[in-house]
Amino acid sequence: MKKFWLVFKHEYLRHVLTKRFIFGILSVPFFVALSIGLGLLSVILSTDKRPVGIIDHSGVLADPVIYPEKRDGAIPFTTFLFFTDAKLAQVALDNREIQGYYVLEPDYLTTGEVSLTAVEASGPGSEGDFAALLRANLLKNQPTELRQRMLEGPEVTIHSVADSRSVSPDNILGLIMPIVAGILFVVAINISGGYLLQAVVEEKENRTMEIVLTSVSTDQLMAGKIMGNLSVGLTQLAIWLAAAVIGTLFYANLQSDAGSVVMIRSYLAVLALTFLPAFVMVSALMAMLGATATEAREAQQISGLFSIPIFMPLWFITSILEHPDSALAVGFSLFPLTSPLTLPVRVAISTVPAWQIGLSLAILVAAAFGAVWLASRAFRLGMLRYGKRLTLRELLRGAA
Amino acid sequence: MPTIEVEQITKRFGQQIAVDHASFTVDPGEIFALLGPNGAGKTTAIRIILDIFKADSGTVTVLGGPMTEEKKDRLGYLPEERGLYQDVQLDRSLVYLATLKGLSAADASRKVDAMLKRFELYDHRKKKIKELSKGMQQKAQLIVTLIHDPELIIIDEPFSALDPVNTQMVKDLLREERDKGKCIVMCTHQMHQVEELADRLVLINEGKVVLYGGLQEIRRSYSGQEVDVHALTDLPAELPGAARVAKHNSGYRIHLEPSVTPQALLQTLVERGVQLEKFEIALPTLDEIFIQVVTTAGSPQ
Repeated sequence: MKKFWLVFKHEYLRHVLTKRFIFGILSVPFFVALSIGLGLLSVILSTDKRPVGIIDHSGVLADPVIYPEKRDGAIPFTTFLFFTDAKLAQVALDNREIQGYYVLEPDYLTTGEVSLTAVEASGPGSEGDFAALLRANLLKNQPTELRQRMLEGPEVTIHSVADSRSVSPDNILGLIMPIVAGILFVVAINISGGYLLQAVVEEKENRTMEIVLTSVSTDQLMAGKIMGNLSVGLTQLAIWLAAAVIGTLFYANLQSDAGSVVMIRSYLAVLALTFLPAFVMVSALMAMLGATATEAREAQQISGLFSIPIFMPLWFITSILEHPDSALAVGFSLFPLTSPLTLPVRVAISTVPAWQIGLSLAILVAAAFGAVWLASRAFRLGMLRYGKRLTLRELLRGAA
Repeated sequence: MPTIEVEQITKRFGQQIAVDHASFTVDPGEIFALLGPNGAGKTTAIRIILDIFKADSGTVTVLGGPMTEEKKDRLGYLPEERGLYQDVQLDRSLVYLATLKGLSAADASRKVDAMLKRFELYDHRKKKIKELSKGMQQKAQLIVTLIHDPELIIIDEPFSALDPVNTQMVKDLLREERDKGKCIVMCTHQMHQVEELADRLVLINEGKVVLYGGLQEIRRSYSGQEVDVHALTDLPAELPGAARVAKHNSGYRIHLEPSVTPQALLQTLVERGVQLEKFEIALPTLDEIFIQVVTTAGSPQ
């Protein structure tokens, strides 16, 4: 058991302590934050903060209500300046004191016509604010509740028939989170698998295998390698998730109504139950590849056979989200390579029958056991065959 | 009690017999050479001894019983196909492999430092393995083999990639280990190294043991009717008992007639007044024995 920990520690630290790993782990949240930051910065920088002029001949904006007086976000509500006639507004525009000016004609209420004069052909980017201002002032004499409803529109919440889960536009995170978390998990599985593949092939390539095998049992060696490399993937995942949570808290207020709590709980439970065997299955398959292939490059090429199906549900994600109970979605939930990404997403957005969850998990666990069996067999048969590939037939039939 | 007892082991890979009813023992305090041409079954035999492969039949006893996980800490193995983690620092790699042999991290670290100094690698300890020369890597591998003070040392081609100075150092090291009572099994193709170091040997050809015993005993058993003579005076033109006399190095090699013993020839030379500087029964070199045995055994019947 002691040697298992030594192998575990060696496998874990040799990846985690490399510059490549640290760079890789930091680069994803860094580039995400950077691209969001740059996007926001460019919007802020490109926003013209000068006021916009209004000449009101219609009287709609006499004694105006400025609505909304303030709003959330990086871009403030446009400031409006009222001019008595167009000449004064034109002077202000010529002096670049204002972005442009709107003129409401006396018959605005009947025609709805408004003219805008601006330096740039595209006009100031404040049409929305001007329209909001007009609406607020047209409705200012209406009862508060009516005015509020007309200004804000309906807030639609979609309720699932079976339970209390709900997805509303405000709870969009509840919809995106399972997909994002699923992708992160699958990425972590692939990274771990990749490290494991590399670790096994490398020992064959650099001929360390025999020295190690005369020091530690194959079981302890394999277990240490699998757990060590899985932990590398989990470390990566934990750091990314932490970054995602911090990022989410920073940019949005997390909804904490009862529905989303129920959803997150059941989603997390299925996610955990799915990903544990998935992790073991993919790692064992990668270890098997490493043991059967003759060199790292060849093994990496073949590993696509496993990693492509794992990501395949993403190609059909729209269909899965729209029809979570379709034959395609159910099929993906049952096939062990596609279920890690499909099943948790389905559980998050719809009511999946218990038998499907049970069957899916059972198949996944069976596949994980099968993969470990194949991996240890491949390892024993293929570990000392330098330059000679182990065939599938030998793997299924041969004796160590 | 022998350190290794191999009895009638056989191993097949498909239709091919890699080891065919091979038997031999290796004792503590000896350097035992395991010889044979390429593909003879030496490496397979070693892997069976080390329990990497299972024999189809026959038994192997190592350190008094079958191989166990605990016994792995008592043996050091330098395989022919060898290498170290290329992207890992030398000292870290050695400490890891030493801890796998049961040393504590502190002990491993201390011993690695001492060995690195002895092998003149201490200044390179922070380099990655791939940055070391082939000879340096070879020395690093020898450190891995010996760091945990094993009772049984199995080394395959220990002198490859070493310069003469380092070759001498490794030879001294192996003798030192033998004198401490360690059992050393050495696989090599360098017969002169075997002649210099080995106490006993086994020669395997096509999976079978074709030669087994003490080095000198084997050489004597292969010596023919030949003696090497260095004389201060010329040899007589007629020499009774000599079938043929040929110049050999700075002396003569005398091929005796079948019924004549070396003692009889010596007596004749003394009686004829030849002043002898050296009189030696000519023993064949291990190279010669190797070629003779392998070509005879390998030739069609």
